[in-house]
Amino acid sequence: MPLDILVVDDIQESRRALCALVTELGHSAVGVDSGLAALEAVRRRLPDLVLLDLLMPGLDGFEVTRRLRGLTGGRWLPVIATSSLQGDEHVIRALHSGADDHLSRPVNPALLEAKLRHYGSVLGLQSRLASLAQRQRDMLDNILDPVLTLDAAGRVEELNRAALALTLRDGGPLAAGASCMAVFGVELPALLAQRECRLHGASGEAFPAELGLSEWREEGAAHYTVVLRDLTERRQVERMKDEFLATVSHELRTPLTSVMGALGLLAGGAAGALPAGALPLAEVARRNGERLGRLIDDILDLTKLEGDRMALHLRPQRVQPLLEEALAANRAYAARAGVSLWQEPDAAAPGIEAALDADRFLQVMANLLSNAIKHSPAGETVRVSVHHGGGALRITVRDRGPGIAPRFRARMFEKFSQADGTDRRAQGGTGLGLYITRMLVERMGGRISADDVTGEGAAFSVSFPLASTLASTPGSAAAPALPAPPALLHVDADYESRARVARWLTPDYRVAGAATLAQAEAEAAHTAQTAPLLLIGNPQSQGSADAFCAGLRRLAAGRPVLLLGDSVDQAFGERLGLPWLSLANGGAAELLSVLQRLLAGTHGSGPPP
Amino acid sequence: MTGLRRVMCIEDDADIRLILEFSLATVGGYEVLCCAGGRAALSQAPGFRPDLVLLDVMMPDLSGPETLAALRKLPCMDGVPVVFLTAKAMPDELEQLLEHGATGLIVKPFDPMTLPHDLLPYWEHGRGGRGA
Repeated sequence: MPLDILVVDDIQESRRALCALVTELGHSAVGVDSGLAALEAVRRRLPDLVLLDLLMPGLDGFEVTRRLRGLTGGRWLPVIATSSLQGDEHVIRALHSGADDHLSRPVNPALLEAKLRHYGSVLGLQSRLASLAQRQRDMLDNILDPVLTLDAAGRVEELNRAALALTLRDGGPLAAGASCMAVFGVELPALLAQRECRLHGASGEAFPAELGLSEWREEGAAHYTVVLRDLTERRQVERMKDEFLATVSHELRTPLTSVMGALGLLAGGAAGALPAGALPLAEVARRNGERLGRLIDDILDLTKLEGDRMALHLRPQRVQPLLEEALAANRAYAARAGVSLWQEPDAAAPGIEAALDADRFLQVMANLLSNAIKHSPAGETVRVSVHHGGGALRITVRDRGPGIAPRFRARMFEKFSQADGTDRRAQGGTGLGLYITRMLVERMGGRISADDVTGEGAAFSVSFPLASTLASTPGSAAAPALPAPPALLHVDADYESRARVARWLTPDYRVAGAATLAQAEAEAAHTAQTAPLLLIGNPQSQGSADAFCAGLRRLAAGRPVLLLGDSVDQAFGERLGLPWLSLANGGAAELLSVLQRLLAGTHGSGPPP
Repeated sequence: MTGLRRVMCIEDDADIRLILEFSLATVGGYEVLCCAGGRAALSQAPGFRPDLVLLDVMMPDLSGPETLAALRKLPCMDGVPVVFLTAKAMPDELEQLLEHGATGLIVKPFDPMTLPHDLLPYWEHGRGGRGA
């Protein structure tokens, strides 16, 4: 790489000779005759390198070297001092003044060439690195979303240009060094658990933002890079969607009201008696009109639940009156199907309270009861029982129908799932009922499950945390206790992956997460009261996989351990003698079933079947 | 004889008005006056002197709650029960409607064969209120 070289020498003859030599070597040279002239030249245009005579009248080379350092704007300007002095002392002094190198006069052309080539290649590397860094900086600055990097204590280390448009809670400008509390209004550990936050814009206005967080490590220290996305517009769209759906629902119901009304009047004989053959036809129309109405309800509920926009009014209340209301509301339907409804008597039931939304609880029970009635043969009984214990209440609805097909079990709480595609028309369902029921139960802090009693019909249970037990009677002690969900500790360096697994396993498990083994140990000690029953670990980005797995085993102290991650496979699992599950081709259902087997002790070391 | 005679229906959809008229007059035997909107209802209520009002919630021009507020100012409406007809589009708003001074709610689609009977409890409730 040809260099722009400034040659500083007060003696014209040697200056010219050096310039000529530099030019001959393929570089360009500018000569000046004094220290002051050299500083002036550098101010005008920064050269790549300076060849500087140490012994000059006025400002000598040592002083010039010192002053040059202030003129380069942080850039490295190599200075090679030249002199005909004997001994090393002046060389050492020159280097102390800030020179990079020394050449003895008369200059050996071969040595000069070698040195210039060396500095040329170092300067070339340096400028490549600088342009690379600039490129990265430009990319970061051109991301439209604010991007912040926080250190382990939650201090802002770096931020991009979009983040500069944010302000702190106290109205001050956002800059490096700001605390997590000042920016987000919460401490770092709380922030890590959030998916959303509220930020303040340039004029101090608050707005909701989505929080994409990734944790990474540099020399053992944790850093958190946060990408923030303004949700204002999305919220607006959601609101418009809600309004639109409300309107659509109203618009759909209005004609349905006329259709159903006209049919009802015709079938009821209000316009004169219908011929005998017309009645079944009117009944077909009426039944399907009702189904259409249910579909409209379900789709509305679904949209609100999925968008997390259904307002629930949870308050502690007695469960028994609600249960009786639900049973009463479904008696007519049961009677039409020739099925009876029966609640198993329990002396403690009237006193049981749970925090519920009454309307939504009734909807859940209506769904479970109508499902049970729908699948019961005429003459059978649908039984409802209430159990409580272990801080939870469980309501079970049991029918004597054909039971749940094994094929359907895995997806019965999913959207648009029905036991059988052909069944849908026969039973008049929408395929949304159990899915909406599950969402409602979970939103009220409960869980839903299907008990497997092959050949004895189906049994669905919902459980809710108990608000308190009023007037508990002696008989209540005998009520079967409901175990709390097992605790589980998930060690994974990737935050997203921890969040995903937690979503999958809640509420069947109480999931605690840790990025590293060290954090996991702290977490395990912290939650000694609710010691995890099993551990899940992802060896990716944890250093030595063997050491990580050994640490995991030590921490587990005999409790089950599962290796989980994209990088684990059969060979890996077998080598370490631990059960494993690859997420490359498995999801929530696989994980839940492996965990169930691990807890039951039917899944020892080795790969899953 | 229950004593409930005159029912005023306020509903913007002509087909639903027809169903209501059929249900309440032909099936129920009441004297029925159907109005297409709140303004018509306000001008006709004093002449008709309804025993009970059935009022649609979502209407253009004057909404159900607005119509209710205006009706309540008429002397002839003193103690007259007003029952909302709603498409149940917004479950969270049902409670609000009752707070607006409505006596009750009937959810669409309704059963026209039982509607005349379904109104009776509301009328009883309203009559009790008038006596107090």
